Amino acid sequence: MAVEVGTEKLGERQPRRRVSRPSLTAPGLLGLPIAWLAVFFLVPIGIVAAYSVDVLSFGSETHGFTLAAWHDFVHSGIYLRLFWKSVKMSLIVSVVIVVLAYPLAYYLALSGTKRKYVLLLLLIAPFLTSYLLRVLAWTVLLGDEGPINSFLSWTGLRPHDHPLTLIDTRFAVMLVLGYIWLPFVALPIFVSLESLDRRLLEAATDLGASRFTAFRRVTLPLSLPGVMAAFLFVFIPTIGEFVTPSLVGGTSGYMYGNQIVDLFQTGFPDWETGSVLAIFLLAVVVLLTLVFSRFLQPRQVSAS
Amino acid sequence: MSGDGDRIERRISRQELLKIAAAAGGAGLLAGRVSGAAAAIEAMTAESGRLQVLDWVGYGYDGGQAMFAAYNKRYPKNKAQIHVMTNEANALNQFNGGLKVDLFRPYIGWVKYFAQSGLVQPWDPKLIPNLKHLNPYMVKAGQYQGKQYGIPDDWGFDEILYRTDKVKPKANSYSLLFDERYKGKIAWFDDIEMPEIAGLLHGYKDTWNQTDAQLKKSKDFLISKKHLVRKIWSSETDMQQLFAGGDIWISYAWPADYAAMKAKGLPVAYMRPREKPIAWVGNFMLMKDTPRPHLAHAYVDAWSSAKSGKWLEDNYFYGHANVLAKPSSTALAKSLQIGNPRALGPANANLDRDIPRRAEYEKAWQEVKAS
Amino acid sequence: MDVALSRYGAWALRAFFVLVVVFLYAPIVILLVFSFNNANIPAFPLSGFTFHWYHQFLTNSDLKSSLKTSAIVAALSSTGAVLLGILSAIALVRHRFRGTGPVAALLLSPLVIPYVVFGLALLLLFHTAGIPRSIFTVVIGHIVITLPYTILVLMPRLQQIDVSLEEAAYDLGASRLRTFRSVTLPLLLPAVVSAYLIAFTTSFDEYAVASFTVGTQPTFPIYLYSAIRFPSNLPQVIAVAVVVISVSLVVVIAAEVGRRVAERRLGAVES
Repeated sequence: MAVEVGTEKLGERQPRRRVSRPSLTAPGLLGLPIAWLAVFFLVPIGIVAAYSVDVLSFGSETHGFTLAAWHDFVHSGIYLRLFWKSVKMSLIVSVVIVVLAYPLAYYLALSGTKRKYVLLLLLIAPFLTSYLLRVLAWTVLLGDEGPINSFLSWTGLRPHDHPLTLIDTRFAVMLVLGYIWLPFVALPIFVSLESLDRRLLEAATDLGASRFTAFRRVTLPLSLPGVMAAFLFVFIPTIGEFVTPSLVGGTSGYMYGNQIVDLFQTGFPDWETGSVLAIFLLAVVVLLTLVFSRFLQPRQVSAS
Repeated sequence: MSGDGDRIERRISRQELLKIAAAAGGAGLLAGRVSGAAAAIEAMTAESGRLQVLDWVGYGYDGGQAMFAAYNKRYPKNKAQIHVMTNEANALNQFNGGLKVDLFRPYIGWVKYFAQSGLVQPWDPKLIPNLKHLNPYMVKAGQYQGKQYGIPDDWGFDEILYRTDKVKPKANSYSLLFDERYKGKIAWFDDIEMPEIAGLLHGYKDTWNQTDAQLKKSKDFLISKKHLVRKIWSSETDMQQLFAGGDIWISYAWPADYAAMKAKGLPVAYMRPREKPIAWVGNFMLMKDTPRPHLAHAYVDAWSSAKSGKWLEDNYFYGHANVLAKPSSTALAKSLQIGNPRALGPANANLDRDIPRRAEYEKAWQEVKAS
Repeated sequence: MDVALSRYGAWALRAFFVLVVVFLYAPIVILLVFSFNNANIPAFPLSGFTFHWYHQFLTNSDLKSSLKTSAIVAALSSTGAVLLGILSAIALVRHRFRGTGPVAALLLSPLVIPYVVFGLALLLLFHTAGIPRSIFTVVIGHIVITLPYTILVLMPRLQQIDVSLEEAAYDLGASRLRTFRSVTLPLLLPAVVSAYLIAFTTSFDEYAVASFTVGTQPTFPIYLYSAIRFPSNLPQVIAVAVVVISVSLVVVIAAEVGRRVAERRLGAVES
């Protein structure tokens, strides 16, 4: 689409390069988005904080600022232990799928395959379909008399009345979460591997390094930002997960996010304690993000 | 028998009830009913929109439609729209979240709580003709400060459902829910009834009012047994699915779940624990600012009819408060004590009741779940 | 020789890639198989072919109205998010001002918040302010969470568009709005469409925040969640799942292909 540039008429004053621009400057443009976020993002978080210290409460009586709920939270330790359990589960999932995703990204970026973007799309596409439906697929697969177990007993690999307990376990939660996030995690690693300058590898091998050494000392370190980004992209959301655990976790797969939902939706309402748990989770997540943001390059983020 | 003078123990036979009703002034009753009905009809034409009902799984269009079919037929423009609650705490959360309904069904242990909460208003007995057929003891239990806050309809027990081909209980006791032999095959209910059951097992005098020390003991007991539990269910279909699939063999369950599993052809038994089962009575409660109070009364009346009662008894194996509702099978009635008017008395069951220290119980239960 | 991969290494990685792709698509294929299976419970051995479940869900009015609700919510929230995203992108890319960093951080911060926390925060906001929950409260939440995605899609594209094209328009006396409409927007269009689609699909599929903000009309994920939890209609739900996943796969692939084609055609603007 061409833009026509007129020619100057002879005798007319030369137009100045920089015309003064009317109206909208940055603050004007940003006014609306920032106002929206202020009202519907920052204020609600503030309200949660207020509930956690009983400045606001859902009954009609508030008792005024008190750190009692926070004190209980730290003191009793039960919710902290649950938090730690969720962190461990998220850690395992994140590490495993980053390790699995790396070879995938490596193959796409460095093997010289002609259709790398098509294959990348093929890999990513499931991530862009429905989350709940993919969890549903696993609830169907993992039951004691579901397809996997009935297949095992049909082929005689396992006795019929001793099926593998797959669903309602911590394992099921981690498996499904890994399945959900694996496609997405390959992306940042792919981006950083793709931007790798092959000449560095050529130089390394010219200097006598084996492929593996070149990988270890050139490729791996340079792709580390992508790996870090990938890890964080899955680790941070997974700590607060509650949907998957509620569908496949049973009793042992109960996570911190489920506890929060219980205090607000399924169990007897205790908004003060629930708010404490929520603020704690938010604080940890924000801290992790700030600490590791030095490893994140905008490229990884915008590529997804 | 009736020696101790306790009203609960007094036998109320059907004949006695009808005699009382007749003696109470049939004419007056009739007159009141007619004028009440006329006023109701006038008021109802002013109420519009579908009746919003918050009820439990199985009581809506997912199986229980026969219970209110008469209402839907009579008011097709105001057909019931059913929202689901998994227990009373969940209902409370939904209200707090802004859900607006016209009526809902908490159970007997919560009548006092909700009556005091400001969320509900009392019913007008004149607008519920079937009320007079309901078991008076249950009707009385639904009252608070002399007003009829709850209309009882369904009742039953909390007992233990188990697979007879997989499970050999050591005794007929709630302890089966905590049996180490069946690790990974047990399901509990997501409610503070679990600490109540723990209290019964420990033999506490009043498991609804445990002291701090007793509650801690119940909580620790539950935590120590949690590793045996496959699922803490909040919705019956969840639990039924797991049972039918063979994922669990033992569960806290209600008679309807027993009926459902039997219908599927599973070898199951519904065990009455020697600690005397916890018993419940469902109580419809009317929301305070409902725009459809008369329709709500009509709905409850439909639910309270003998026809609905009979359906409930035959299909869900629950008792129904309407004394005229007789189940089709006497064997069934006997085994589930449906025809026994003293079924909910202290000699037979632990009728659920208000818990003065509810917040502590809820906190303890949350800690069990988090552990 | 190839410096990155030996022949054996390339073969091994290719095999691994195939394995992973099979793993990713297998559950979906299994859903497909069972959606035609003539039985109430999805288990082997199979029991015969039927279209019954597809027919059943098409007549399920609760399901259909939840789809409609989700579509409305997604359309409204994507529009809002794209509009706010365009404003933000222009401000961040075309204007130099102090505080670009913090402003960008604020605008992107919803990416970081766990949805359970954000959902309950909105619940508390609406409860405290006395606002009843409805389709609009869901839209509000979805605009917040999809805004960062739209910004991240629009910004790179805007950076690619040569500023001198816009400046030429100003030189010719065009107002800012006119410039945007005639110069910037057409070039930005592939990214706008892309942003809209991403926001739409995110909102359509979103359960966590919606579960806290939804009113009496369930969105499709809300309906789906209770269908999964209370699976009396499991085969029907499986049929729905197959249809929705297939449609979204097609849409995603078509959108991506379309975007690349469009951008290549407009490609001359790379600066």
